[in-house]
Amino acid sequence: MAWRRQLVGLSTIITVALAWYLATSVTGFISGGRFPSPVDTWAAFRQISGRGYADGTLLAHALHSLRLVAMGFAVAIATGVPLGLLMGWSRRAEALINPVFLLIRPIPPLAWIPLAILWLGLGDAAKIMVIWFAAFVPAVINSFAGVRAVEPALLEAARMLGTPPWRFITEVLAPSASPMIFTGLRLSLQASWTTLVAAELVGALFGLGRVLNLAQQDIYPGMILVGMLAVAICGWLTTGLLALGEARALAWNQGESRPAS
Amino acid sequence: MASIRFDKVQKYFGRGEKRTHALANIDLEIRDREFLAIVGPSGCGKTTCLRLVAGFEAASEGAVSVAGKRVTEPGPDRAVVFQQFALFPWKTARGNIDLGLRNKRMGGEERAKRIADVLKLMNLDSHADAFPHQLSGGMQQRVAIARAYVLDPEVLLMDEPFGALDAQTRVVMQEELVRLARVRPRTVLFITHAVEEAVYLADRVAVMTRRPGTIKEIVDVKSMREAEDWNRFERIEDVMDLDSFVHLRTRIWKSLREEKDS
Amino acid sequence: MGPKLSRSDALGLGGLGLAGFLGLWGALSFFGIVPVEFLPSPFAVGSRFIDLFAEPFAGFTLPQHLGSSLLRYLYGVLLAACIGIPLGLAMGWFHLLDDIVTPIFNGLRFIAPIAWVPFAALWFGTGIGGPILIIFAGAFPPCLINAYRGARFVEPRLVEAARMLGTNHGRMLTEILLPASVPSIVAGLRVAAGLGWQSLVGAELIVASAGVGFMMVQAQASVQTTTVMAGMVAIGLTGLAIDVALRQGERWLHNRLGLD
Repeated sequence: MAWRRQLVGLSTIITVALAWYLATSVTGFISGGRFPSPVDTWAAFRQISGRGYADGTLLAHALHSLRLVAMGFAVAIATGVPLGLLMGWSRRAEALINPVFLLIRPIPPLAWIPLAILWLGLGDAAKIMVIWFAAFVPAVINSFAGVRAVEPALLEAARMLGTPPWRFITEVLAPSASPMIFTGLRLSLQASWTTLVAAELVGALFGLGRVLNLAQQDIYPGMILVGMLAVAICGWLTTGLLALGEARALAWNQGESRPAS
Repeated sequence: MASIRFDKVQKYFGRGEKRTHALANIDLEIRDREFLAIVGPSGCGKTTCLRLVAGFEAASEGAVSVAGKRVTEPGPDRAVVFQQFALFPWKTARGNIDLGLRNKRMGGEERAKRIADVLKLMNLDSHADAFPHQLSGGMQQRVAIARAYVLDPEVLLMDEPFGALDAQTRVVMQEELVRLARVRPRTVLFITHAVEEAVYLADRVAVMTRRPGTIKEIVDVKSMREAEDWNRFERIEDVMDLDSFVHLRTRIWKSLREEKDS
Repeated sequence: MGPKLSRSDALGLGGLGLAGFLGLWGALSFFGIVPVEFLPSPFAVGSRFIDLFAEPFAGFTLPQHLGSSLLRYLYGVLLAACIGIPLGLAMGWFHLLDDIVTPIFNGLRFIAPIAWVPFAALWFGTGIGGPILIIFAGAFPPCLINAYRGARFVEPRLVEAARMLGTNHGRMLTEILLPASVPSIVAGLRVAAGLGWQSLVGAELIVASAGVGFMMVQAQASVQTTTVMAGMVAIGLTGLAIDVALRQGERWLHNRLGLD
């Protein structure tokens, strides 16, 4: 009964929206100082889109944040995936690197923020550093797991065919580990956004986190909500992009062989 | 082509207390262009023998050599056909076959020629650009065999290659392999636990004991095949009906049975 | 990848890697390649860590800060579990409830827990409610999802047998679905605990007046790098301890229930 699910879902959303409107604007049950009404939110949105807020328009802030996430994410996978592949492939490398990795891993990425600020100040570099830490760990772990999960016969076949090292990595190892690598990438992306927002909340001059921070100081709930929605939408968009990339890269990964003949 | 030689080979797995003795004193020679099948009870080490020649494992004692040279690592001169096909799912059939040739740094034109040739040989022309998941088990194994053959290897190593196929496909593939061996003869080491398959395909059949595995006996099939001219039959069931076939099969089976029951 | 390394080989290489790492770190600060305020030596961090057990910083000693952190953490995670697990089970059983809640949940899911901080600050100031809200936001989804999955994908034969025996809804949930979902729920709790801990740290960096995160932010403001790093060590160790404890609990449970 898929149509029923859609119907109920839609009704729920409408009910919630209605309740929101009633509770805030109409009855004032929830005061505007605590949670914004739809009207407040719309007004805040118009302000930040037009005149701007915290020295920039919504688009400018969003793009700034997106840029930072993209850079941190890119550096993290460029370093994390090869390291994970290496550790997965070579038991020696794993033994050598694992203890250091285990030492660093329990420290939540957000805990690096104060140190990053001490080292690199309140600018973009500190943010990228923390994003790198956050996104790095899932990339390594999942790439490692991806290699370990590969059917051993595939790797043996590649060796039997006399595949030289570089080709082995690019045409055999990485593709075979790629389903799990992409799982890692999804986690990395999530971690990147969380970390960026947190870092920007702690201290930033620009970006969506800055918007949220300032809105909170100004006691401007409408703007807080706009900021949160912007973060959610950006997260949703980037996740969708990654999913598209994953679908194309893993197009070959469908189902098992047909039986007989 | 070349011969394969096992010289007083011992193989142990593991260390200390958990050490298992997989192969004991394997002395075996497979002659140039001979098709030798190894049969034996589960866990006897027949696959290990193949893996030693392939270079995926190293002998604990003794030496394994191909064409007089000691085996140290895997390579395209000893092509392997795996039971689970081991095709790269992200490459097409053509891509799978091509990889070995590219590794040999063969030029594009020559590669294309060789690939076309082997595709024709294995009846894969219309499936060349399909992905493994789009092919049936039998087709996938054909691609795997093509991938091995295209390398023009010294030696062909087949590890229960038809084990993952259903009974009908298996029969078809066995007939194919006989045809192939006639058209492009090669030194072949063939591992199987199906005695009928071994007798149908091989020149000689080696029977292995239980673990630790050694060669119990080697039965000559070729002379019987030539004497009774099994090759006059196209279909496997006709060959398997012959008294001479049944006799050999029963003999080997009994030998094997002693190992399983002991 | 070849065979597993022997115990001694693995430990040896591990020790080498660790020594190399610590050595490099130590060398950077010892030889003055990097200024001490930037990167104190491992020894300095270690001794500061120990000092903080007795000497208060930003109002409390390290154990006291940790205590505050852990208290909030526990409240937040317990709240997430107490609401998430029953709700998840109920959603797994009552399709209508599922249809109602899922759209709301999916809508809120994409909002990183940390993004709730401004509202938390607005509503709770620097009181204990703020961090608890953030931790809740982080720990709630895994609790809900795993309980939901556990109930939804229960072996159908079990449910049919229960229905045949005339089991009412309440009993179905408590005596059939809940026990059957325990492995999934416990796995979810492990994830929730991890996410909750991460959210805690983030929350304390911004909206707290005590706790390890708060301590670190204060230390950063007064350029006390050793304290910042000591705080990181404390957070890492505690997070690790929590995960290890939960993993043991999961293993015990699996043994008890006879699962593999």
